[in-house]
Amino acid sequence: MAVSLFFVVALLAFPQDTLLIRNGTIVPVVGETIPNGSVLIQDGKIVKVAADITAPAGAKIIDAEGKIVFPGIVAAMTAIGVTGYPGAGNDVNELGVTTPHVDPYDALNPEDSTIAVTRIGGVTTVMTISGTMNVINGKSVVINLNGNLAEEMICKRDVAQIFNMGAKGQSMYGPPRAGKYPTTLPGIAALVRSKLDQAKMYAAKATATPKKEDQKSEGGKAHPQKRDLGMEALVPVVQGKMPAVFITHNEVTIRNALSIIDEYNLKGILYARAGILKYADRLAAKKIPVIWAGTTTIPDKWEPFDLNYHTASILAEKGVLFCFDLLGFGVNSHNVRNTPVPASISVAHGLPEEEALKALTINPAKILGVENLFGSLESGKVANIAIWSGSPLQMSSRVEKVFIKGKEIPMTSFQTRLRDKFEKIVAERIQRKQGKK
Amino acid sequence: MNSSVLPLIANPLSYKTHSSNGKERFMKKTVCVVCVSLIFLVTAVAAQNLALKGGTVLTVTKGIIEGGTVLIQEGKITAVGKNVSIPEGVKVIDCSGKYVMPGLIDNHTHIAFDFGDVNEMTDPVTPQVWMKEALYPEDHKILTTLAGGVTTVKTMHGSANVIGGVNVTIKLKYHALPAEMIVEGARHQLKMALGENPKRFYGQQQGRMPSTRMGNAYVMRKAFIEAQEYKAKWDKYEKDKAGGKKDLVPPKKDLKMETLKMVLEKKLSIDCHTYRADEIVWIINFCKEFDIDLMTMSHVIDGYKVADVIAEAGVSFGGWVDWWGYKEEAYDGCPWGFQIMHDAGVNMCINSDSPDEGRYLFRNAGKVLKYTDIPEEDVLKMISINPAKSLELDHRIGSIEVGKDGDIAVFAKHPLDSTTKCVMTIIEGKVYFDYAKHSMTAKGGYGE
Repeated sequence: MAVSLFFVVALLAFPQDTLLIRNGTIVPVVGETIPNGSVLIQDGKIVKVAADITAPAGAKIIDAEGKIVFPGIVAAMTAIGVTGYPGAGNDVNELGVTTPHVDPYDALNPEDSTIAVTRIGGVTTVMTISGTMNVINGKSVVINLNGNLAEEMICKRDVAQIFNMGAKGQSMYGPPRAGKYPTTLPGIAALVRSKLDQAKMYAAKATATPKKEDQKSEGGKAHPQKRDLGMEALVPVVQGKMPAVFITHNEVTIRNALSIIDEYNLKGILYARAGILKYADRLAAKKIPVIWAGTTTIPDKWEPFDLNYHTASILAEKGVLFCFDLLGFGVNSHNVRNTPVPASISVAHGLPEEEALKALTINPAKILGVENLFGSLESGKVANIAIWSGSPLQMSSRVEKVFIKGKEIPMTSFQTRLRDKFEKIVAERIQRKQGKK
Repeated sequence: MNSSVLPLIANPLSYKTHSSNGKERFMKKTVCVVCVSLIFLVTAVAAQNLALKGGTVLTVTKGIIEGGTVLIQEGKITAVGKNVSIPEGVKVIDCSGKYVMPGLIDNHTHIAFDFGDVNEMTDPVTPQVWMKEALYPEDHKILTTLAGGVTTVKTMHGSANVIGGVNVTIKLKYHALPAEMIVEGARHQLKMALGENPKRFYGQQQGRMPSTRMGNAYVMRKAFIEAQEYKAKWDKYEKDKAGGKKDLVPPKKDLKMETLKMVLEKKLSIDCHTYRADEIVWIINFCKEFDIDLMTMSHVIDGYKVADVIAEAGVSFGGWVDWWGYKEEAYDGCPWGFQIMHDAGVNMCINSDSPDEGRYLFRNAGKVLKYTDIPEEDVLKMISINPAKSLELDHRIGSIEVGKDGDIAVFAKHPLDSTTKCVMTIIEGKVYFDYAKHSMTAKGGYGE
């Protein structure tokens, strides 16, 4: 048993298969589309993308005639792996106003049913966050949606710290926290600033040269600073080493986030649900990327009905780096497979398809700092690939095969098992009833 | 303008790429039509007589007419076909290159109310409240929904109460008077709800019954038994009165019981919010027990597990294609279930229960093609004639047929193509939404 387990693990860790996908329409996202092209995969990586590749000896060949070969979709803000079953199985949103030390890695469950449901929808890589309800929520990880152990899923830890500039209460749209600071937008902004100030001081203390009297009393060593895990989590943020995602809801929260990014010289990422267009030029100039989750936000009464439908096309025009998100945090992690929905709406309203496809793949990879691994079909990248029956922008297109790190994933999930089970049960019951008649 | 970056994807914009039987009627071989140059000949909104000329007419019930014309006079469809002669004076809208389908119908939404007017959350039994009395024609979500090609909705009481209020079926006549919006001539539906929501609102939040599914069942049964007794009293009184008895004292009026009496008399029907398979079977049996008409079930997440039972009962399914997991009773949602229910013969309706999703029912309908082999014409029915049937309004709306209401949605591309958009929505011959006028891209923008 132990031996066979070892082999399984060894195989997963070092996939040796050579795989040639050929005859497909290769949409590499970065680079030209290749009709009847091929993708060669070795040891879990893409080694060649070209019109014609001769199959190496022993390569498994996958014929993709009439199909679209597309990089795995990258979803930027999810809780996949930490939501699981509603209720006790849900580990999102630790209580507290600032919880920067919370790390979703500590709850990452490879058996979470949203993993298989999402990956057979063509999404292969996601960022999983620890929550959104607090002012400072915690760390985040980028994972591949396959693996028996959490370690096998992890691509990158400590990807970004998540701030919410509108977190007035314990639920996104709920009433403010009763009697608990902060309950207003300026209160939230002030709290974020004071925590970042503290983190700067904490970092300064850690590297300060010891004072003379300390040298005497402590045998030449500085007083060891009392450890503060929250501060430790924020130090890389104020040092500009770890990006900070700012969840925003409207013009005011966007403005506050941009001010703080400026004042503290942070590596900022904006998560926006509305009100972003006024800031498009500034975002482009300052190269602040946007996770755009507002395509399906209903505009305010005084706004045109299609303001948010058009936003992506305007962001693209102005050169803002953006990706699509479907408000995919919290329980909505169940619908991450629908990330192409806002992309298709945006294309209907003027976004070029090219930009829409980038905003599902290479753009989120860039925003999360994993573009060297994911987001396009290019030699050297991880072989996360989906074969689609048609354009990923069409709701009707089916995902027919999925590869993660070059390994073909079974097209099954909790939901396909329910389908198979009840197809049979219902058919048998109908038969029985007909028999009785 | 031909800026498609995927000219090499076979029909990149076609929603129909996994077709195995070659039914490619709708497929446009030429992709990337030059973007939205709307050549509508009229901008006037107040015409009751209209001719929609030259589009691909998806009648839903009578096939597809390429280059067809739909003539609307006095708010009704008076002619449909390839060669329709357009009487003088009728305004003509050029629909060539576009798709003309019946106005979409959403049989579960909560728009056209002010926030907070959806759940009378003070008692688990509130059949005395009527949603038509909260109707708010200035809700801008009427416009955002019209922009998705929707013309008729059933806008509903919420699911906090075991027996909620009476829903109202309306046409989305933005800015009209409430009375002009309400669709008369068909039974409205009383909202009822089972499962977690009443348990949460009363048991968990208020510490009162119901806190279990047994409690839900008791509360519902008790109310209908009282209603039977109430009805018996009134029936006796009316009979005695008709028989000429003197000195009769009428029973005391009770507005809760009045509504339930209407349900027992089948003057109202029922839409019940259900999730689990056991609840679905339970409510079907309950309605048989009391001889009341269950027209529609909403959500019906587990519906596929008991598809045959729903079909036999003749109850309409009203739900989403792929929502799941947002609470315990929603955990077994399965998008492939649509195939099982369709095959069993259930009347399938795609609804929104959301002012957001209600704006793109057609895009959600496209998902059915992803998960099932249900033919396109049947998928289009799920957002048109099927919900019309669930509302008992299929004689008036839900398809493009002579004699029906002139409720039309015009799309830039086929409605099941996810990159399409609605460009015009017409109710009873009047244009209520016009992309060329309402879009932010229109001249002057911000048009309302």
